[in-house]
Amino acid sequence: MTTLWDTTGTEVVKALGEARRGAGMVSGLALTLVVVADEKKVAEAEVAATKAAAAHPCRVLIVVRRQIDAPQPRLDAEISIGGRLGPGEAVVMRMYGRLALHAESVTLPLLAPDVPVVTWWHGEAPERIAYDPLGVFADRRVTDAAQAADPIAALQIRAADYVPGDTDLAWTRATPWRALLAGAFDTLGTHRVVSARIAAAPKNPSAYLLGGWLRARLGISAEQTDSAGPGITEVYLKLEDDTELSISRHDGFSALMHRTGVQDRRLPLQRRDVGEPLAEELRRLDPDEPYAAALSAATGLVLDQRPRARVHVWRDAVPAAG
Amino acid sequence: MNRTGGLPTNPLRDPADRRLPRVPAPCALVIFGVSGDLAHKKLLPAVYDLASRGLLPPGFVVLGFARRDWTDADFEAAARDAIQEHARTPWQEEVWARLAGNLKFVPGSFDDDDAFDRLSQTLDDLRESHGILGNAAFYLSVPPTQFPVVLKQMERTGMADNEASGGWRRVVVEKPFGHDVQSSRELNELVDHVFTPEDVFRIDHYLGKETVQNLLALRFANTLFDPVWNSNYVDSVQITMAEDVGIGSRAAFYDATGAARDVLQNHLLQLLALTAMEEPVSFSADAIRAEKLKILTAVGIPEGDQRDLYAVRGQYEQGWLAGQRAKGYLEEEGVPPDSTTETYVAVRLLVQTRRWGGVPFYVRTGKRLPRRVTEIAVVFKKAPHLPFAETDTESLGNNQLVIRVQPDEGITLKFGSKVPGSAMEVRDVAMDFLYGAAFTESSPEAYERLVLDVMLGDSTLFPHAEEVDASWRIIDPLEEYWAGHKPHKYRAGEWGPKAADDMVAVDGRHWRRP
Repeated sequence: MTTLWDTTGTEVVKALGEARRGAGMVSGLALTLVVVADEKKVAEAEVAATKAAAAHPCRVLIVVRRQIDAPQPRLDAEISIGGRLGPGEAVVMRMYGRLALHAESVTLPLLAPDVPVVTWWHGEAPERIAYDPLGVFADRRVTDAAQAADPIAALQIRAADYVPGDTDLAWTRATPWRALLAGAFDTLGTHRVVSARIAAAPKNPSAYLLGGWLRARLGISAEQTDSAGPGITEVYLKLEDDTELSISRHDGFSALMHRTGVQDRRLPLQRRDVGEPLAEELRRLDPDEPYAAALSAATGLVLDQRPRARVHVWRDAVPAAG
Repeated sequence: MNRTGGLPTNPLRDPADRRLPRVPAPCALVIFGVSGDLAHKKLLPAVYDLASRGLLPPGFVVLGFARRDWTDADFEAAARDAIQEHARTPWQEEVWARLAGNLKFVPGSFDDDDAFDRLSQTLDDLRESHGILGNAAFYLSVPPTQFPVVLKQMERTGMADNEASGGWRRVVVEKPFGHDVQSSRELNELVDHVFTPEDVFRIDHYLGKETVQNLLALRFANTLFDPVWNSNYVDSVQITMAEDVGIGSRAAFYDATGAARDVLQNHLLQLLALTAMEEPVSFSADAIRAEKLKILTAVGIPEGDQRDLYAVRGQYEQGWLAGQRAKGYLEEEGVPPDSTTETYVAVRLLVQTRRWGGVPFYVRTGKRLPRRVTEIAVVFKKAPHLPFAETDTESLGNNQLVIRVQPDEGITLKFGSKVPGSAMEVRDVAMDFLYGAAFTESSPEAYERLVLDVMLGDSTLFPHAEEVDASWRIIDPLEEYWAGHKPHKYRAGEWGPKAADDMVAVDGRHWRRP
């Protein structure tokens, strides 16, 4: 592990090159993962990125923007290969002062050559991704509505700003629920669903996206109710032949599947930490159309015919991180 | 009958939705010989790993059958031990809770009609109580001599009948699939008769390995390799499967089988077929099988006098391996002192197609070799002309592309590169792509993948009866020739008998040290 204090981007590139030669083992890189986190969340982001990197050979670049009002721009960097940040290559960069607004100047030369770039904001994402150059050069952009002060409003923002290639971890967190529901539907027959209800902790964005998905696929609008959580606690569906199907989870670990006429079953449905959904995100790097359909249905905004790329919009404002 | 197990289309499933896993229809996995090693080390842990990845259907039961005085609870306890010891994913009570209560056991021996009636009845009961819809996969984890009796019992009780059960009924057979053409045909006829041919899954666990599947991706998803993947550029191909272990406690089975039937007939010929086959018209089971079959029927074996040179058998003698003394094969417990069974085999095969005309495929396998390794090495021809002085390229060998199947899954490319310095000197360097190491921890075990595929009814990674038949037609004449000869001796801990080195040396080549 190399640590550089008050350094420059060129020095970081050099140090990474040296570390790679020193490590001797240069494996195939599938992508570069750029992580944007603020100081309070950087440890959490590191753990998650390490977990994701264990499943997908990638170079992890963690960007921490600090003290944007500092008078002098400054860059500190930590480079590790096969160290505490997992088996791959990782660089943690802390940027101070005006440099924080030009993070791409350090990050661009560090991207692994000609492989896709995924940018993940672990924290509140910019209102428009075009404001953050780290999002503009990325092929996939991963936001996390659950990190926002108002997650439901954050979904609305994401829908307004949507461009193919955007996804949100709130959607990823709904995958296990969707898998169970789809599995249950495999044997439900062809009866129409007449009503649906989703219970979740207040303002749970995954519940809204799950509702959007049900609307997009089944054409029904699910009633959203609040519960004590954690996360989504129940999905209830009623079919036109009066069959009831419900999946409920109150402990965050395992779910009870109930269906009229069938013995109740207990199934594992564990809440996942940030690393696993992130690893799931990195599995596929093409636009996620079912996400767009669910987001569109959840927010009522039309998302098709958006441009496929963004152009950076300069905004000299202090981002949320500070 | 509906191949998907009687399911209508599901409005929640969208082909574009790649996040949702392929989950099989509700079903039972019936394991014959569930008290055995394979179930303990591989099958039960694989089931747990599937559960922990959320890949089991809501209605799912493991039904064990063995000659043990077990209750459901005993079986559950045994399964719990097996899983805690061997599962790939970490132990979690929540995942276990999903399986517990869905593990059932029926005691009995294979010739016991009552026991099979009970098994059949239990399956019928589970249909209601556990919602398995009459779907069942039968895993025959039993010695091959027991196949016929188990299959006949299933026929008698009607358990193998798709129509009668109202779902699908599939059977999984472990190698060896017979011991020659004749016996394998009889076995195939029996199993195809009891089940329907498309419901028979023959497990070759090598095909479940990620690297083997990656071979297809490497060859058919890229433009870089296909143009040189032929006799114009390829000098020879070496396929090695080496084991450092001896025969362990399998003396009775092994002595009757030998390396050629145990490994060459299935794993090595499958790897050869995947390496040599033409591009399938699609990635479907039928299309891939058609291409593999063409190769297997085009394989040419050494004939006449050539056999002495190009079909070498070996048997290990005592020696030292990894710092420990290793017994010779004849001293192993249970092996007759005059046994002529081979523990090593190396053969030069030809693939008689336009693509491969004149390219020898050297395949070898053995026990008590220096290390455990499986790899496919494609050795390219030397450049037809070198503009350098002869002394400059003395240490330049053939370019090689090596697919490392295990361990250290990945790909190595060996090519010439200039030695840094003022003189022009070219030598070989190896470039490694590590598919494995730290990154494969999260990739599934072969059995996990294969058990899942059986339940999904996807036979892409399973050899078909015709392939097995074609493979035996390659092995049988070799066995016939070997029957009158004693195997060559080699010391435990060395790379096979000298005769195997001579075999490549007369062709002006040498074995790659894996």
